Parts: sequence; C-alpha cells; structure tokens
Amino acid sequence: MDLLGFYPLFYVPQIGSAWLMGLTGAIHIMASHTSVGAALLFAFLAYKAQKENRTDLYDYMKRYGMFLLIFSYVIGSITGPGIWYTATAASPRGISALIHNFVWVWATEWVFFVYEVLGVFALIYFMDKVDRKTHLKLTYTFAIASVGTLALIIGIISFMMWPGTDAYYTTGSASDAFFGTNTFPHMFLRIGFMIMMSGIIGMIISSAMRKENKELSEELTQKMGWVSLLGGFVTVFFFMWYIDTLPANAHALLGMAKDSIIMNRVILAILFSIYFSIAIMKPQWVTRTLAITMMFVIGIVGVWPGEKLRETMRKPWVAGQYVYSNQIIGRDVPGKGIKSEVDLIATQGLLNVNPWIPDRLRTITPENKLEVGKLLTRIACSNCHSLDKGGLYRPLMALAGPMGEAGIKDYMKNVIGTGSSPYMPKIALPDEEYDAIAAYIASQAK
Amino acid sequence: MEISTFVNVMRDSAGIPFYPVVFQGLYVLTWALHAAFVLLALGSMGLSIYGSTQQKSNPYWKILTPHLIMTGKISVSVLIVLGVAPLLFTQVIYDSGWYVANTLSGAWVFIFIYALVIGYMMYYWYQSANKKGSSGNTLIGLISFAILVFCGVLMHNFAVEAISPTKWMDWYAPNGVVDNAGWNMHLDLIRLGFMVSLMIPVTGIFMQNYSRFLSTREDFEPKYLEFVTNLGTKMAVIGLIISAGLFAAWMLKENLLLHPLSLATVVSVVILLVLAAKNTNSYITTGILVVTALLISGVRELIRYNVMSGIGYDLYGYPMNLEWETIIMFLLTFVVLGFTGIAFILTMAWKVSKTKGIYTATEGSAVSRLANASLTLFILWILVYFGWGMVALFKNTMGA
Repeated sequence: MDLLGFYPLFYVPQIGSAWLMGLTGAIHIMASHTSVGAALLFAFLAYKAQKENRTDLYDYMKRYGMFLLIFSYVIGSITGPGIWYTATAASPRGISALIHNFVWVWATEWVFFVYEVLGVFALIYFMDKVDRKTHLKLTYTFAIASVGTLALIIGIISFMMWPGTDAYYTTGSASDAFFGTNTFPHMFLRIGFMIMMSGIIGMIISSAMRKENKELSEELTQKMGWVSLLGGFVTVFFFMWYIDTLPANAHALLGMAKDSIIMNRVILAILFSIYFSIAIMKPQWVTRTLAITMMFVIGIVGVWPGEKLRETMRKPWVAGQYVYSNQIIGRDVPGKGIKSEVDLIATQGLLNVNPWIPDRLRTITPENKLEVGKLLTRIACSNCHSLDKGGLYRPLMALAGPMGEAGIKDYMKNVIGTGSSPYMPKIALPDEEYDAIAAYIASQAK
Repeated sequence: MEISTFVNVMRDSAGIPFYPVVFQGLYVLTWALHAAFVLLALGSMGLSIYGSTQQKSNPYWKILTPHLIMTGKISVSVLIVLGVAPLLFTQVIYDSGWYVANTLSGAWVFIFIYALVIGYMMYYWYQSANKKGSSGNTLIGLISFAILVFCGVLMHNFAVEAISPTKWMDWYAPNGVVDNAGWNMHLDLIRLGFMVSLMIPVTGIFMQNYSRFLSTREDFEPKYLEFVTNLGTKMAVIGLIISAGLFAAWMLKENLLLHPLSLATVVSVVILLVLAAKNTNSYITTGILVVTALLISGVRELIRYNVMSGIGYDLYGYPMNLEWETIIMFLLTFVVLGFTGIAFILTMAWKVSKTKGIYTATEGSAVSRLANASLTLFILWILVYFGWGMVALFKNTMGA
C-alpha cells in the first residue's frame, strides 16, 4: 500500500481552522506593520530632533515607544509565531513546504528579530541615558533591521501566492522561489501601508498629548497626517502594480468579487483621505477617541477583508502553487524531486493513502458509509468550507446540499475531479469515495 | 501499520536544504538560549510577586521588586524571539513529531497564542500597577504569572506529544473513532517539574550577577547588594538541590541515569552548586550555567533521538536538497551582522548601566566603533538584498 505524508486533521466547527489563522494574521499585520513603519518614523524623528535640537520630539518618541512595546512587541511578536502555530495546526503540509524551502531565510529573519527586540528596549529606555549621536545610529540600524524583517518574510508570503516564474519548479532553488515577479510590488505595497499605520498610530499618541502641550500635539498630529497621506499614496500606487503580478487563478477569483473590492477600496481611500486631510488642516479636530476609532476602522474594514481576499486569491493552493489547500500535492516540482499525488489518490483512494485513517474505516460498508463520508469531506473540503449547518465561511452544505446526492457526485466527479474549477483543488477519487462524500453531504443538507 | 513507515512518510517531499546534524546542533543551542530566558522570566516574576508583598515594609524589596519586574518583562520578549529558532529547526528535521503534536492539540495551540498575549499584556499592567503602588498589583501579577506558567505547560504538552509516536494513533482515533477537535493534552509531570524547578537556581544566579554588576555603582548601598547576594545564593543552592533530585528521577524514568550525557549534566550541576555556594565570581558561575543549559538541551535531544530512531525514523537519512545561496546568506548575516549588532547593543547597555547620568560614546570607543560597523553592515545587507533580487528576477524573466 502506498502511503502519502498526510497529518492528522484538526477541525474547527462552524468557522474552520483556516479562519483561526486569518484572525491571528490580521491582528499580526496591524501590529507588525505599525512596528516597521514606526521604526522608519523614529529614524526620521530622531534625525530631526538631533539636527534641530528638539528635545520635545524625544518625549513623543518615548511615549510612542511605550505604546509600541505593548502593541507591536507583545501582540505583534506573539502573533507572528502565532500565525506559524495556527497555520501548522490548520495546514501542516503547507507550512512544512514553506519551512523546507525557506528555513535559512527564516533563520536570517530571526537574526533581525533578535536585533529588533533588543534594539527596541535600548532605543526606548536609553533615550535619555546615552548621547544623541549614538542613539541616532541605534535608531537608524533599528529602522533598517525592521525593514529587513519585511524584506525577508515578503518573498515567503509572495511564494505562498505563487513563485512568480517557472524557474523554481526546474531548479528548486530558494532564491528563484523567493524573488518572484510578485515579491517587490508586494514589498512596496506593504511599506506604504506600514508608513500609513505608523501615522495612524502616531495620531493616537499625539492627540493624547493635548492636555500637556497643545502646540506640540497639533504640530505632531499634522506631521502624522502627512506621513499617513504619503503612506496611503504609496499603498494605492503599489497595490495596482501588485494586482498586475498575480497569477491567473487569482485574477479569476478577483474577477468574481471585483466590484465589491473596488467599492470597498474606493470608500476606504476617500474616508482616510478625508481623515488625513483633517489631521493636516484641522489637527485640533483629531481627538484621541477619533484616532483610536480610525485605527479599528482600518483594521476591521481594511486589513481583515484584505487578508481574506489574499487567502481567497491563493485558492486552490496554499504554497508555491504545488500544495493544495487540502494538503494534497497537486503538481510536480522536478527541481526538488516532488511528485504530484493527485493520480495516486485517484487510483488508490484517500482511504488507502492517508496513514491517519483508522483500519475500520478503510473499507466502505453500508454501516460506515456516512462516517467515512464525513471524514473524507473533512479531509478534502474543510480547509476552505464550513461543514456545519449555518457555517460561516463558504458553507458547503448550503452550496452543495441542494444538488442532491446524485448531483453532488456528478459535480465532484466531472468538475472537481477533472480540475475544471480554477479555484478548487483537483480531487479525483475512486467511485465509492465519491459516493460516501455525496451521501454524507446530502444527509447533512436535509 | 508499521510506525516506522508512518513517521518516515511524513517527512517533507522537498527534503531538507542542509545536513540534518547541523539543524540538530542549532536546535540544541537555540533551545538552551530560549529556555534560559523562560526560566529567568518565570523566576524573576515569581520572586517579584513575593517582593510586592514585602516592599511596603522592607526598603530593600522596594528597590529590588521593580528591577525584578523589569527583568521579567524584557526576558519574556527575549524568550519569545529566541524561541522562534528552535521552533524553526525542529520543524525541519522532526517535522512529523511537531506537526502531529500541533494538529492533535490544535485547540490548545490557538489558546496558547492568545493566553500568551493576555498573560504578557497583564504583565505590563502589573508593572504599571506596582509603579503606582496600586493595591491590586500582587493579584494582577499572580494572574499574569499563572497564565504564563500555563503557557509553559501547554508548550510542554506539545513537546511530550511530539516524542510519543507510538501513541499518536490512539490519541487521534481512540477505539478507531476519529477525534478532530484538537483537545489532546498529555503531560510528563517529572520532566515538567524538573524544567519548572530550574527557574529557582537560574534566578538565584542572576541575582548574584545583579549585585556583582551594581557593586561598582555608588548609588547602590553595599548592604542592599549584600541582601540581594544572600538571597540569590540561597535560591541558587536550594534550587539546584531540588532540580538535581528531579533530574535524577527523570533520568531514572527514561533509563538514562548512567548515560555519559546525563552524568556530565550531574557533574556540571555539582560544579554549579559549589560555585554558587561560594559565590567568588558569579560571572564564572554563569558560564557553567550556560554549559549546564546546553547539556540539558542535549539530554532532551538525546531522548527524542532515541525515541524516534527506536521506531525506525531515519534522521540522518533525511533526503537532502543542498541550498547554498540561502545558507550563505544566513551564516554571513548571523556571524557578521548579528554578532556585530548584538555586540553593539550589549556593550552600550553595559556602559549605560555602569554610568550614573548620560553615557557618551567618544570617538574611537568600542561603542562608537560597533555602532558605525553595525550601521555600515546593515546598509550593505540591504544593498546586497536588492542586488540579488534584481539579478534573480532578470535571470528568470528575461527569457520568458
């Protein structure tokens, strides 16, 4: 019996395990992007403070830094590995593919992380304990280290979408996988967003200083308005380039939701342009409550749908366009000696090649048919679909249930089984496994 | 089904990009570093909670408590960042164990992340409450401490599950009925007890270092430093005796008591005990502590290696796809940029902490030279990164 390297399945009712990853990812993006943006902002402010002898700017940096410690270096630094953990539980072979291609890139990023973590404490707590020139150099290195962490992770998350060219499949080289056509536009898009986030958070800090120093508070709110506007412009500019470098399957999915995406982005762009303009022209109007509200708005209305979109556009893949979202390897990568598993599964069936199937379920009988169907449906579909009645994300029972048992089997065999859907994995199975899945879905949809 | 087929088939089909033994060595090294800060964080935090109940009546605890809280705060950040490395290396060579543990306990994985976020945020609250002298500070500290210890227990659970391959199927499908909920929890109480007990001697030796370091500062009175030293010595000695007992029990259970690595650990603990009790030079004691931490990390790896090779897992036969470009990038970044950069921050921290008032790095001083070197290296790194990226992109897109 041929076995494939599957892992146990972790299943989260109603929302699906991938949703847990998305939630952690969205929180991490807010915190980590603020962190890199703030590092750049600090370099600018420290330079200005030293050149113009502005000691008040150090006070601002210190307050900002304290906020950053909790926001980015508690929430951000935990949710960073947190994405990794939840991704491992939700999509072990996807994360394994990334680890085994990019372990040295991640290890390099770790060096930058260590520097960043030690650096942020030194930067904040030594602000009035070390001479300004040395502090300025520390601030510059901290900024570059922070950008370095982005520079290193961006190739990996771009590879999750696709390697950008075919070179990787032939050479198997991490360098070819890392520097795809998508990598640099993606990087600058995020740098823009980071700068914007640093301004948005900066306004929370500056508006909170109003009682002690009204003049400084307004001057800094104004500056943060400019910073945010610049960041916003860079984000929008590179977003267009980024979209242009996406693979065909992403464009197919993007096309389906294009109007609502455009509408969402246009509304966001107008809303935040107004907000940043107010900060520049009427800084006194930006209160702490407004600034905090706008931070949540960008998180809930901007980042969360953006992350969901990125995850959706990757379908049916989770890594390098060779690992399907349901953990099956869907194409050959000769450069690494990787073979597609689709044909083997088609002939031998998931029940025989997955080592985690209990022996009593390997053969389908009338008694266990629904139990086997449930397990197969979870293995094949739960990474993208909620399987429970009333499930939140792409609810399978609501989508497939109305087709009836025969219709479900027919769809699976002739559409999914032939790989005809651009956004669904090719799941070719022996007939009896289709039967079990169809029977289970039909029984649940009643 | 043969368990050896099971574990070998789960190895990633991309292979590994370098020799397995290198990842194994890096794992042992980085886990030891990570564990050192876990123990320091928990120990200093635990002691600070006791201090928070004493600081109103005892002036020495009034000075020491906020310092312990700060030590704990920085240590948690450092332990998180240092923990990323062993997490990375274990997934490369023992992917089957790590991923199975994560999927079997998927719900706990998610809880771990958010418990850590809440526990650490509460720690900041604890620090702020303690600074303001709020009455609830001890309670906040206790809750934060309990949450962080709970996170340690969860991490221990993942580690235990990862080295129990013969039980995986029973845990995943007890009596042949699949359980996908991810609520598996399996502890090894002796091993856990030993690991947790180490926080006492680690914090004790840290306090010996603390008083030795501050002895050159005029603003700390000798009697206070003597108080800290005595407390540190007491904690180090008592803690080491407790840990040694638990270590022996653990090794007995694992049938490794007479293994050379286990014996070397016992010898190093005895040396540590003598040095900590005498406290002639705590910096030398710390050096031996580092050796002991590496030995303990080695013992953990030995247990795992024995378990996995015992069921037929061929670690050293993991298929390899050598990856030179990125390993060169890592080595150069780690050794050249990393060492220079960290040396810059640590040297500056040392000088700042030894100085009353503002420390000025004069031209040509070690701090100034390290700052310049770090900045130059960071700029060079970014230039090489973009240069490399552009060459790779041109190469792969020009012919397309």
